[in-house]
Amino acid sequence: MSERPEDRVDRIVSALLRGRRLKLRGGDAEEKEAIVLAARLAAASRGPQRMSPAFRQQLVKQLGAATPQESWMTRRAALVAGLGIAAGAVGGGLLGRSLDGGGSQPSAGAGKVLEPTNGRWIDVGALADFAPGQARMVKAGAVGAFVTRTGDGVSAVSSICSDLPCELWWDGSQHALVCPCHNRTFTADGSSNGTYKLPSLGVVQTRVRDGRVEVLGA
Amino acid sequence: MTSEARPPDPAPEDAEQGQVVEMPAASRVADVAIDELEMIYAFIYSRVGNRADAEDLTQQVAMKAIPRLRQGAPASAVRGYLFATARSVLGGFWSTRLGLSESELHDDLAMAMPQGGYSEESDERVRRILEQLSDNYRRVLELRFLHGYSLKEVAAEMRSTVGAVKVMQLRALRAAAKVRLDE
Repeated sequence: MSERPEDRVDRIVSALLRGRRLKLRGGDAEEKEAIVLAARLAAASRGPQRMSPAFRQQLVKQLGAATPQESWMTRRAALVAGLGIAAGAVGGGLLGRSLDGGGSQPSAGAGKVLEPTNGRWIDVGALADFAPGQARMVKAGAVGAFVTRTGDGVSAVSSICSDLPCELWWDGSQHALVCPCHNRTFTADGSSNGTYKLPSLGVVQTRVRDGRVEVLGA
Repeated sequence: MTSEARPPDPAPEDAEQGQVVEMPAASRVADVAIDELEMIYAFIYSRVGNRADAEDLTQQVAMKAIPRLRQGAPASAVRGYLFATARSVLGGFWSTRLGLSESELHDDLAMAMPQGGYSEESDERVRRILEQLSDNYRRVLELRFLHGYSLKEVAAEMRSTVGAVKVMQLRALRAAAKVRLDE
């Protein structure tokens, strides 16, 4: 029995929404316009995309070029990790930070700074354990946060989606925090990706003391 | 440096034939191209909607185009050539996946070149397409794609059935594909 057109297209749409490859079967060409449009919508829902660092490095290797390390890092800093911000802010001491930039969409604005009642600083690990540009999930008592190293400092956002009460996860290849409940992503600084902006993630306060990262938890 | 170095028309056929484009003398080919390939990746991703295919196709573009680049011409020519190659590669991709000849695929939605790289243009274009649809069609596509709702959730939101939403989704996509925007 042949597949109905609506089933055919929904099979493809569902795969696209899960980030899978376009796997098309014989007969799918009958709906080529709808399929092509679906691919564009799926892409638009995630906003402009950048190559993952791993893929970029693979390309560099294949092209037989030595990676221009300094400029590459600067680019990553400007667009993903926010290292540029840290460069001006490093003092080595207390770095409680409200994010006002540093992600791929800094203009979207930072979220509200979380102020836990009876908050206390909780050690979540050595600064050296946090890879630059990679958000890492930590628990500071009842507060879950994704901490991103920015040079000699750190910044953090809430680990809970600003729209649905779901715990985010870090997709290192996309450099994005992903909400599993509705397929939306945020930059490491908490800004919403995509055409339709969600509220930014709450900013979790952090500081670095004697090479240790502390998060204001509860 | 002359304008002859630039592909006269960034048509897919030109890219396939291996035209040589010169690069700025002070730049190493791969160093410059890798940054330009960021744009190509975003362009391709905006057309295929998933990372795995976008990476494969970007790699194909790099492997086809980079060996043909040389020191000496404007960066705009390099970008134009990479985009021409990308369009060619995308044409091959859709042709293979859909089993159609490339001549049947001269579709703006599938391969049209963006005016200024990718930036927000692709998003903006999608937003304008959705604006042209009827309320129900726009709603089903917004919920499904932009909010990531399942069919069941869309059905609940629209007080309909999963089967009806599935049909509406198909019709909405067909209608959206027919929208032609004035550029």
